[in-house]
Amino acid sequence: MKGNRHGTATTEVISECEVKTQRAFDAPMDLVFDALTKPEHVRVHFSPDPEPLHICEIDLRVGGKYHYAWYAPEGYECSFRGTFLEIERPTRIVATWMFEGWPDDEAIETMALTEDGGVTTMTDVLRFKDRASLGDHFQGDNRGMQTSFDQLEDLVAELS
Amino acid sequence: MVQSPATVDVFHAIADARRREILDVLVGGELPVGAIVEELAISQPQVSKHLRILSQVGLVRCRAVGRHRLYRLNPTCLRPLQEWVAKYEQMLNERLDRLDDYLTELQRQEDKGSNDQQGEA
Repeated sequence: MKGNRHGTATTEVISECEVKTQRAFDAPMDLVFDALTKPEHVRVHFSPDPEPLHICEIDLRVGGKYHYAWYAPEGYECSFRGTFLEIERPTRIVATWMFEGWPDDEAIETMALTEDGGVTTMTDVLRFKDRASLGDHFQGDNRGMQTSFDQLEDLVAELS
Repeated sequence: MVQSPATVDVFHAIADARRREILDVLVGGELPVGAIVEELAISQPQVSKHLRILSQVGLVRCRAVGRHRLYRLNPTCLRPLQEWVAKYEQMLNERLDRLDDYLTELQRQEDKGSNDQQGEA
């Protein structure tokens, strides 16, 4: 039995609009890709137990849409939806991402898989749009962003 | 679900490279507009515009000292962002732990399937 990886997903803010999450799995990349993209799998693992997703639609092709929905223990419906923009089986998926109720804007989710010795690492970057100047953000100068953000977060942590 | 306007506002306020730079400069301490203009080499109207937005969401506070207006960071307003990241991380951790268990189960079934086949052969 391999080591327990529970709780090891890390989330960090990597730029003014991007949140990156990484997690390793003791499974081959093909299996991880299937588990993340086939409705019969997603239905089982995506929502918190014991309620499975009551909506789990995945049209895995460029331009195809996905929609997941489940009921939170408090009773309200949680729903994710989006459209696939790029699919490179089994290493990469780019899709729009919208969590209904938060926030208004759609984000772009890029999910990449790499495999090393039977361990698959998933890197997921959620990039939130800026209404005014998305172009400026990602073509422009990005220096110091990570540092300043870390500093600000540390500062907040101290004050919390 | 009703979303918190403050959360959205803080996200939008910092979703701009220049405003992030201004916050970065203010981490060092309270400054007048002129010092920020000098530090970042962007025009004063631009800096003032960004400071206005940052002030509106409470990330920056301003006080008058004589003829000068001094701006300082009020980082407690970043708390919604920090809380969101923490919540998001927790939600993802739980979701990915379930995926992990599911992958383990799938592989166990696969192994069992291939063993059964070998047994029948």
